[in-house]
Amino acid sequence: MKQERFVAMHGCEWDDLQSWFSALDRQPQRTMRQEHTLDFPQSYRRLCHQLALARGRGYSREVTDRLQRLVQQGHRVLYRPPAPRWHRVAMFLLAGFPRLVRSQWRCMTAAALLFYLPALVTLVLLQLRPELAHTVFSSAQLAQFEKMYDPGNPHIGRSSGTDLQMFGYYVMNNVSIAFRTFASGLFFGVGAIYVLAANGVLIGGVAGHLDAIGYGGPFWRFVVGHSAFELSALVIAGGAGLQLGLTLLMPGRQRRGPALVAAGWVGAQLALGAFAMLLAAAFIEAYWSSIAALPNGVKFGSGALLWLLVLGWLWRGGRERSDGA
Amino acid sequence: MLDTVREIETPEGISLRLRAAGALPRAQAWMLDALLRMGVFMLAMIPLGLLGVGGNGLAMLLLFALMWAYSVACEVWLDGQTLGKRALGLRVVNADGTPVTWVPSVVRNLLRVVDVLPGVYGVGLVCTLIDPHARRLGDIVAGTMVVHAVELPAGTQVPTVAAIPPPVVLAADEQAALVEFAERSGQLTLQRQEELANLLLPLTGRRDTAAVSQLIAHANWLLGRA
Repeated sequence: MKQERFVAMHGCEWDDLQSWFSALDRQPQRTMRQEHTLDFPQSYRRLCHQLALARGRGYSREVTDRLQRLVQQGHRVLYRPPAPRWHRVAMFLLAGFPRLVRSQWRCMTAAALLFYLPALVTLVLLQLRPELAHTVFSSAQLAQFEKMYDPGNPHIGRSSGTDLQMFGYYVMNNVSIAFRTFASGLFFGVGAIYVLAANGVLIGGVAGHLDAIGYGGPFWRFVVGHSAFELSALVIAGGAGLQLGLTLLMPGRQRRGPALVAAGWVGAQLALGAFAMLLAAAFIEAYWSSIAALPNGVKFGSGALLWLLVLGWLWRGGRERSDGA
Repeated sequence: MLDTVREIETPEGISLRLRAAGALPRAQAWMLDALLRMGVFMLAMIPLGLLGVGGNGLAMLLLFALMWAYSVACEVWLDGQTLGKRALGLRVVNADGTPVTWVPSVVRNLLRVVDVLPGVYGVGLVCTLIDPHARRLGDIVAGTMVVHAVELPAGTQVPTVAAIPPPVVLAADEQAALVEFAERSGQLTLQRQEELANLLLPLTGRRDTAAVSQLIAHANWLLGRA
């Protein structure tokens, strides 16, 4: 068949499709509801067939380019991502995320050790030799910590600011740290290891110093509430970074490219889960932890409950029932 | 390796052509996005400043959203284009040419942290220069690439003259070469047209201007014109 006859036969359909695409650009909702939309997959297939024919018959660029453009647009419409569903988000948080964390248990354990060991060592060291605090922190930092956790302070854990301000600050600060921990893991895991250990020393140092000077009471009362979510999220983000770096080092029985893509997929989901956990932590930290007037029983009781909840969620969440029900 | 076009075969058995975008337009798009985000933040600070310390918290949340969520939300909802990319005619697509989805978009935007590292996108720049598809590290791990969304203008159309059938039967690629010559002849100088047409002396049996018009007449015949 000659090219011009081919165009005359199918040109009408191409024009229709073109105008449908431009309508879709202008009014996506309305165009998608038109009855004409139902024909789209079929006419897209026909279009692909016609492009293949046009190529095979050596028609000129005029025609193949036009078809190619239409096909590219159609491909984008046909394979567009599905609309997000709240149900899927909930299922991910309740089941998918804990399952993912458990599937990466080696990296998670390593991350937990990298974080808690330096923290514990610093905490114990500062009890035995309190003067070491000055090697970890500057005097100004120490003075600020002491002011924040002064037993006379009506709002523990902060030197100034309202709940909302601190909520914004915690979200910005903590989530950024978690995201950076994950991303910097790409450098063979070195970034994640450094951030985990450094934060361990930092947090252990603050705890140790305040305990040593007798401000331990307000400090533990402040952190016990949000620590479950915050520390676990930091460890998970670090673990996600570690698995990314380890995949780069040891891709296993895959080429590095595909192995990294798979690891990035896992890591991003872990980072998103850590983000949700840090949102919860920031909320608790800003609105609950800072209340100084509550009795110790309530503070430590709720803290223990939250730790049980988080660990139980990560341990059992998304697990199939063993009785087969 | 000079050609940045990547051909991808789709399930329908045809190939998509993705034209990878280099570092320069992407840097420009990033600059536009950065300016836009700074502008939004400053504008928002005016009412938030009036709210006092509580407004500070909201400002932090806004800053967080602009820093981390803006790119992901734009790429997923606006068909792979942040506003800067839209202005520069760029688009993020998955490696198979489909529109970018949530998880790959999150990966490539979180890993910006690595790509920016020594100052201003040092790692990213080196990576885009090395990679054949001009992907930065985040793109490689996410399995995405940034392409030019705007198609090149199709070659100028073949001028219409009376069709003359070629004296011998031409193969498909020879026909394609002839038609492309005719399509592009308008963009070439007369001397270059004649130089190219003279190569086909055995086919046309003529030289210079006569050869050019003969070839265009053949192209018209190949296009099925009367």
